[in-house]
Amino acid sequence: MTNNGTRWALLGVTAATAVGVGRAVARRRHRHQPQRQDGWYVVRRAVTVDRPRDEVIGFWADRERRDRALAGWATLRQLDERRWRCVARDRAAGETQWQAEITVEEAGTLHWRVEDGPMPQLGRIELAEAPQGRGTEIRAEMRYRSGPLRRLVGLVGGDEPDLALRDALRRAKALVECGQVLDTRDDPSGRSRAQEKRTDRMRETLMTGGRA
Amino acid sequence: MRALCWEGVGKLAVRDVPEPRIRAEGDIIVRVRASSVCGSDLHLINGYLPAMREGDILGHEFMGEVVETGPGVRRHRVGDRVVVGSVVACGGCWYCRTEQYSLCDNSNPQPVFTEKLWGHAAAGILGYSHAAGGYAGSHAEYIRVPFGDIGAFAVPEGVPDDSVVFASDAMPTGWMAADFCGLTGGEVVAVWGAGGVGQMAARSAQLLGAERVIMIDRFPDRLATAAERIGVETINYAETDVLEALRELTAGRGPDACIEAVGMESHDVGPTYAYDRVKQAARLQTDRPTSVRQAIMACRKGGTVSIVGVYAGLVDKFPLGAAMNKALVLRMGQMHAQRYIPMLLDRLAAGEIEPGYLATHPLSLDEGVHGYELFEKKEDGCLRSVLHP
Repeated sequence: MTNNGTRWALLGVTAATAVGVGRAVARRRHRHQPQRQDGWYVVRRAVTVDRPRDEVIGFWADRERRDRALAGWATLRQLDERRWRCVARDRAAGETQWQAEITVEEAGTLHWRVEDGPMPQLGRIELAEAPQGRGTEIRAEMRYRSGPLRRLVGLVGGDEPDLALRDALRRAKALVECGQVLDTRDDPSGRSRAQEKRTDRMRETLMTGGRA
Repeated sequence: MRALCWEGVGKLAVRDVPEPRIRAEGDIIVRVRASSVCGSDLHLINGYLPAMREGDILGHEFMGEVVETGPGVRRHRVGDRVVVGSVVACGGCWYCRTEQYSLCDNSNPQPVFTEKLWGHAAAGILGYSHAAGGYAGSHAEYIRVPFGDIGAFAVPEGVPDDSVVFASDAMPTGWMAADFCGLTGGEVVAVWGAGGVGQMAARSAQLLGAERVIMIDRFPDRLATAAERIGVETINYAETDVLEALRELTAGRGPDACIEAVGMESHDVGPTYAYDRVKQAARLQTDRPTSVRQAIMACRKGGTVSIVGVYAGLVDKFPLGAAMNKALVLRMGQMHAQRYIPMLLDRLAAGEIEPGYLATHPLSLDEGVHGYELFEKKEDGCLRSVLHP
């Protein structure tokens, strides 16, 4: 009788624990999943730049400053009055390149479409005034087609569109605020070439994604 | 060039490494003339601050001579003698604009680790692990300083290298600790830790109006130096119950402000300390908060606890109840070097602060490993080893 009681009690505790853990994992997973709409993953990311809206727009309109700032990782070519082609080179993702067509809808609003990337992607950026004179919020919404497995592989490999969006926003903020994106990859060290390669891989992990 | 590199937990070596190059318009290259060891380096060397990699060059408290400037540098020329703040700041973000340089948004190029650990990334720091940006440090013949116009400051004539080197970190950290206390004149300030930062905090508190400063440590030679050089009262915690002694010295009130200049490897005596050692060794807590606990318990009701000792992660048995019910003000942070250095250089030139005595062991770069041994074991009266590449 006691044995049966113990068994039932253990079974009950185990079941309750399993249900609790399962629900917690599911909730956490749900919280960390991007929204899905009509087969698209939808992510929204934003960053605050400590400059007025006009200055943020002006930075990208000033060809000399922009090209100097983008040198080494992207080129922008104007196609007509509203459309631009961007070719970006991602050193962190093994020198991969992607091309996007960017269309300016109006001052402070644009959308983009990646044509030749590994997965269809489109997005939209809006600039909004930040409260308390804190500058400008760059708000991005991006949609991309992917599957859960592909997304997981991308997250582990560091080449998932959401991570790239967060990198791009952080870079844009740094370029407008201080004219450069810092990089310590070529700082001196006492490492062998093989050790440096391993360290570069760790650097890439520490440079990719995070908060926008 | 030669450089002192981290080779694994507890292991250092002097190596031949490539020379740094100008990488951006605002960079300057500095030939290092003096580079001090710092207590926070010990946390890196001993593996308590994460993200060190074999071959990383240590050192963040230094001065030297500008030997090359990027095309965008305006304030410095080749040949200038400069002292450089340890914290890297871009000068263009909201935090830099409001003089909170150690919170710079753009100077840590590898922010993801600290964003996960702390919620946001703080500024990059030279020679301070990959969590702080992966910058090469100053225990080398040359160092690249990003944003040279923001982070480097011309040294006044006549101030010796081994004195001005402390304007890079120990002095601004000490000043900020005292600044946090909101002193208006006549206060009693207690300082935990009689190392370089603690002694600079004590002197800064005096300059900001404290009537009495009481220093707490366990090394009689450090306490004697502080008493002689700065004129502070001292408590040796290895011999005296600190809380009781502070109550007695303040007629029951407790110090108006308590400065913690010890950090995550603080020592104590008794079973609580043994418990902290075991928990930290087992990685059940990352930091030992012994002196923070004491500071909170000792501080008078409504007083201020100012923390400038370095902490990285999680602590156990934090007396939040005492802090809450005594309505304490807790202030802490890495120092905003660029805010304080110009004012401190003026005070240094005027002789109001004289930190040169901290450089008890001037050594060559090749003696760097020995310099850290002396410093860590507090041997031969070592307050600071200062390396001269």
